[in-house]
Amino acid sequence: MSETTTPDTNPEPTKPTLPEQRAGDLAAAEGETLRKAAVLAAEKVEAPHSLASDAWHELRRNPFFVVSGVLILLLLTIAAFPSWFTGKSPRDAELREHYIDPPQWSHFFQADWFGYDGQGHSIYARMIYGARASIIVGVATTVMVAILGIVIGMLAGYYGGWVDSVLSRVVDVFFSIPLLLGALVILMVTKDRNEWTVVLALGILGWTQIARIMRGSVMTVKNSDFVVAARALGARTPRILMRHILPNAIAPVIVVSTISLGVFIASEATLSFLGIGLREPTVSWGLDIASAHEVLRDAPHVVFFPSAFLSVTVLSFIMLGDAVRDALDPKLR
Amino acid sequence: MTIDITDPVLVNPDMPLLEVDDLHVEFHTRDGVAHAVNGVSYQVHPGETLAVLGESGSGKSVTAQAIMGILDMPPARISKGAIRFEGQDMLKMRKEERRKLRGQRIAMIFQDSLSALNPVYSVGFQLGEMFRVHRGMSRKDAKAKAVELMDLVKIPAAKARVGDYPHQFSGGMRQRIMIAMALALEPDLIIADEPTTALDVTVQAQVMGLLAELQQEFRMGLILITHDLGVVADVADNIVVMYAGRIVERAPVHAIYANPGHPYTKGLLASIPRLDLKGQDLYAIKGIPPNLTRIPPGCAFNPRCPYAQDVCRTDVPAVVDLGAHRQSACHFAQAVLDGELQASDGLDGLDGVDGRDGEVSADVR
Repeated sequence: MSETTTPDTNPEPTKPTLPEQRAGDLAAAEGETLRKAAVLAAEKVEAPHSLASDAWHELRRNPFFVVSGVLILLLLTIAAFPSWFTGKSPRDAELREHYIDPPQWSHFFQADWFGYDGQGHSIYARMIYGARASIIVGVATTVMVAILGIVIGMLAGYYGGWVDSVLSRVVDVFFSIPLLLGALVILMVTKDRNEWTVVLALGILGWTQIARIMRGSVMTVKNSDFVVAARALGARTPRILMRHILPNAIAPVIVVSTISLGVFIASEATLSFLGIGLREPTVSWGLDIASAHEVLRDAPHVVFFPSAFLSVTVLSFIMLGDAVRDALDPKLR
Repeated sequence: MTIDITDPVLVNPDMPLLEVDDLHVEFHTRDGVAHAVNGVSYQVHPGETLAVLGESGSGKSVTAQAIMGILDMPPARISKGAIRFEGQDMLKMRKEERRKLRGQRIAMIFQDSLSALNPVYSVGFQLGEMFRVHRGMSRKDAKAKAVELMDLVKIPAAKARVGDYPHQFSGGMRQRIMIAMALALEPDLIIADEPTTALDVTVQAQVMGLLAELQQEFRMGLILITHDLGVVADVADNIVVMYAGRIVERAPVHAIYANPGHPYTKGLLASIPRLDLKGQDLYAIKGIPPNLTRIPPGCAFNPRCPYAQDVCRTDVPAVVDLGAHRQSACHFAQAVLDGELQASDGLDGLDGVDGRDGEVSADVR
């Protein structure tokens, strides 16, 4: 009898009674509301939320963006200030060292972490100095391609009619030329080849994809009510194009540009590997892969390091492009 | 007060601010030529509110777009007519001359404020843009003007919200911003294309009230395009009813509610739900609006008209003057007005709704 009346002898003291449970739920709910309010308040502080600031908010939490972003920043720094990262020149040849020896502790202490190639160059120094060629080709080609593609795509998409027909056929013609093959032909007939000739060759052939994307994007945006409204309130055509259409149409171009930056870096390496891109004494990862492939069986590490640097760089840009696309496309959230 | 003798409105007070004269607009489509506007004429005087009422596809919006000069040409083509603003034919103006009228003298309020505001700029920036582009103001002055405008359209905490983006505002607040944008340069004429259609009913009344108030304050002409008879009743002075690209009836607003002079208007009014007819089936105009590439011969409304006679199927009705500023394009206009005809579908005895009480609230779309 006492069992049922005294709380001490309750067989399941941990199980809360119904009112208690409800009170607990209420407390939890209240906590949840408070938390939500706190989140809302925190977001209020960060207002205004434009598309760009929303995207930035989204990006900062994306591990792919953080990793690729850090890598790209590092690469840009290396390309700009290679002497910060190594005291050696990539053209100094230590003839005592031989490529057949894999990296050793002694190399480590001389800050030649990756050993030496066939000429006795420090592979590490060559990686550091080779970054500049890749970054220049990648960034400059992308800038060129983006400007060409955006201007041509925007004109075709906005004006339509015969302007669109003519420009679209031009796009088709260039689109039908394979990037590598076309660049190969252009560079074969070029006498003095350096980074900038490679940029030009890739840029002339690489803008078609961006032009097509921009055209489609502009065609969607130009029928928006806010474009009609801007015209109804007296805006001139250049203003409508630059202020109203461009910012609303550019998101897919940013994504594709970032991804194709990696592609252009890989193309430069391919061209250099084939002996058509950059030439010695320019230091480039592609050239290093080319000169090392002859000793691949004896010393795989000589090929491994330039290939790894190249792959990580290309991958970083592609990952960045993917992350930016996810952030700019609200439907993927 | 000095009178500016170069101002044509003051020199000739009878001159309308805007005069649409026998306007014809056609669209060239794959299915043939769609005759969207077939000889529309109307006038708006300073300070007047003209309601243009009609279903989707009646040509009311196309007429407005032709006035604004924002029709996409092609496929649209203005085949005939004139649009005179203060006596000058805008269709004959040079492009740049016409652009200068837009925003400064004639402005437009759009239906869907979310899509009519640019999503990537703050509302303050977009309001300020009007002053920077047309008045050459500095960014700072333009922003101050933007806050002033937001106060004018009664947006609470305007100063704090001037940097917010369009999607951060509610529908009603956004529509107020659209109104502010149209008012920015104090135009003489505002065209509001279904300004409250995208809003819910309580907000509709507030926005409409605000628009009417500001129109009175600035003595602007207002063309109010709508398919909502309820919106019209409270604010409009005159009304034109459009059907298949023609004006079928024109009247002062209260007269039309009391006694319509065209079978189509009569049908529209009869299809408004009414408290005193609770429990009865709601009247509906039978059939659907005509395909604009194949408008029926004779009166365009004849296949749906409960009073249609043989003459309606062959002859296009002339506009009949009914007196008291009323006109109707019906062969039997006077008889409809006097209620002397026998309808084939029970339309008789359903009219006579008094719009003045503001009880009328129905969607005729």
